[in-house]
Amino acid sequence: MSFGKGLLTGLKVTLRNLTRRSVTAHYPDALPELPPRSRGVIALMEENCTVCMLCARECPAWCIYIDSHKETAPPATPGGRERSRNMLDQFDIDFSLCMYCSICVEVCPFDALYWSPEFEYAETDIRNLTHDKSRLQEWMWTVPPPPALDPGALPPKEIATAEKAAARLAAPSDATAAETAAPKDPPTKPAHRAPREDQP
Amino acid sequence: MSEPPNHETAGSGKVQRIVGLGAGAAGFAGHERGGTGSASEIATEDMILNIGPQHPATHGVLRLKLTLDGERIVACEPIVGYMHRGVEKLFEVRDYRQIIVLANRHDWLSAFSSELGVVLAVERMLGMEVPVRATWTRMLLAELNRVLNHLMFLGSYPLEIGAITPIFYAFRERETIQEVMEEISGGRMHYMFNRVGGLKEDLPAGWLNRVAAAVTAVRSRLPQIEDLIFGNEIFQARTRGVGVLSAEAIAQYGVSGPIARASGVDFDLRRDDPYLAYDELTASGALTVSTRTAGDCYARFGLLLDQVKVSLDLAEACVDRIAALPQGPINVRLPKILKAPEGHTYAWTENPLGINGYYLVSRGEKTPWRLKLRSASFNNIAVLPTMLNGCVVADMVAILGSMFFVVGDVDK
Repeated sequence: MSFGKGLLTGLKVTLRNLTRRSVTAHYPDALPELPPRSRGVIALMEENCTVCMLCARECPAWCIYIDSHKETAPPATPGGRERSRNMLDQFDIDFSLCMYCSICVEVCPFDALYWSPEFEYAETDIRNLTHDKSRLQEWMWTVPPPPALDPGALPPKEIATAEKAAARLAAPSDATAAETAAPKDPPTKPAHRAPREDQP
Repeated sequence: MSEPPNHETAGSGKVQRIVGLGAGAAGFAGHERGGTGSASEIATEDMILNIGPQHPATHGVLRLKLTLDGERIVACEPIVGYMHRGVEKLFEVRDYRQIIVLANRHDWLSAFSSELGVVLAVERMLGMEVPVRATWTRMLLAELNRVLNHLMFLGSYPLEIGAITPIFYAFRERETIQEVMEEISGGRMHYMFNRVGGLKEDLPAGWLNRVAAAVTAVRSRLPQIEDLIFGNEIFQARTRGVGVLSAEAIAQYGVSGPIARASGVDFDLRRDDPYLAYDELTASGALTVSTRTAGDCYARFGLLLDQVKVSLDLAEACVDRIAALPQGPINVRLPKILKAPEGHTYAWTENPLGINGYYLVSRGEKTPWRLKLRSASFNNIAVLPTMLNGCVVADMVAILGSMFFVVGDVDK
């Protein structure tokens, strides 16, 4: 019988897969393993933020709300100039508007914003999707170190600058020693990316 | 009311109008159709049937206004725009990095390839030389994106005409590839990984091996999808000879991509107007343009599978090439404010669904003065009326599904 041959071939595939283990992950019981670059939620390291407003300006969805005030510190030396610095009052990201494009993280010149792969922050009220700075700071605990790069890649910017600085320091004394002393180990996480111990 | 083609009432010999009882009754004599046996005409009216904007047989909010004579479609009018987001206007108020965010959203199944067109246009305007590492990685990701897109339709098309199983197989393969895409870009759909001058970040260590493993795994399991659905007699009965699209209609309506190639139109921008380094892949024989001649739903569906196989080969060739490249950068350092010089250019790419073109006009600002988007799905949908006239409603679902469109790409 030629008719039905195709159907039987299909059923054979089904039968073969019936004997194999299921590939489906049972999500709430089994959590997915997400790669470090996963764009789940944006974490804020408040100490690094200088209120330069670049992230809020570059955001294509305008979902970052920043407010600040200026504080003046007394001069460090008598007769010196008063120092003023920006103090962050408000840093909110509205995740109901966010397009997860990563532009804010990319433009931040002081590494105050990071991606975390955490994604379980669904809310029943849309207003709760606006995370304030304390909630964004909380996500810092979940930020993973960046992955090591391919051997064909140039070393990350942080390591390249550090190597250059080390070479510059060592150059006056011994130019050849600087080359051997330069760190050769694969690029790992920069120290500042780990959440600080003294922070909640 | 028009006469349904190629249907004669049995016994009478002369062509009669089939009215009110559906095309399924076309072969029956009058008394079998519940009439008096005189085959007299029953006065009926055409029926207007709206398929969509919310309908399970269409994916997304495409609305088809069908005029039916019984079961037969005598007119079809696709009404588009339910998802119009004014993306071309939005492009004009966004800088070239922000445009990428929107560009990967109009066709959410080929996000990477759509981003690619924008950055290629801007790079051409700037006369920018892109690092060789970026070129090959872009090509690798574009091909993986093509596989993802085609797997989606390889799963969803049988689903639309009643075969539920294949989508699970297609999604298993999709997941395998999506894992590596997520690892490099951080996104599962909207990769946002292209930048003017290259890519956002370099490859993670060991990623190339995982891509090679994923490609091998998908290739080894692809025959399962083939066995599952392609030989299926019911599937063939629904798709073979249904919705034949002629090469003339393709030329008239500007249909492109796998749909055009399934009708024997041998046109593929990767070979015919190579961008990135596709010319090298054509020269090495890795890139072959698959075509079929039948032009029916089955040919269109089958061509997706052919293209997946070619794309997996291309991805493998790219992996080998990237691994052999010397150490180098993946992007070009950009100025703080990126302005495209005054002028205009048109960049088109072979997206998974067809030709995707960006006409960029710049007046030297940091935003484009105009960025026209030519999306593949719009033209592929425009040809529907000519295909659907004379079809029965049941075939409409088969034809609509085989046109492989994304509503966001139609409505922009």
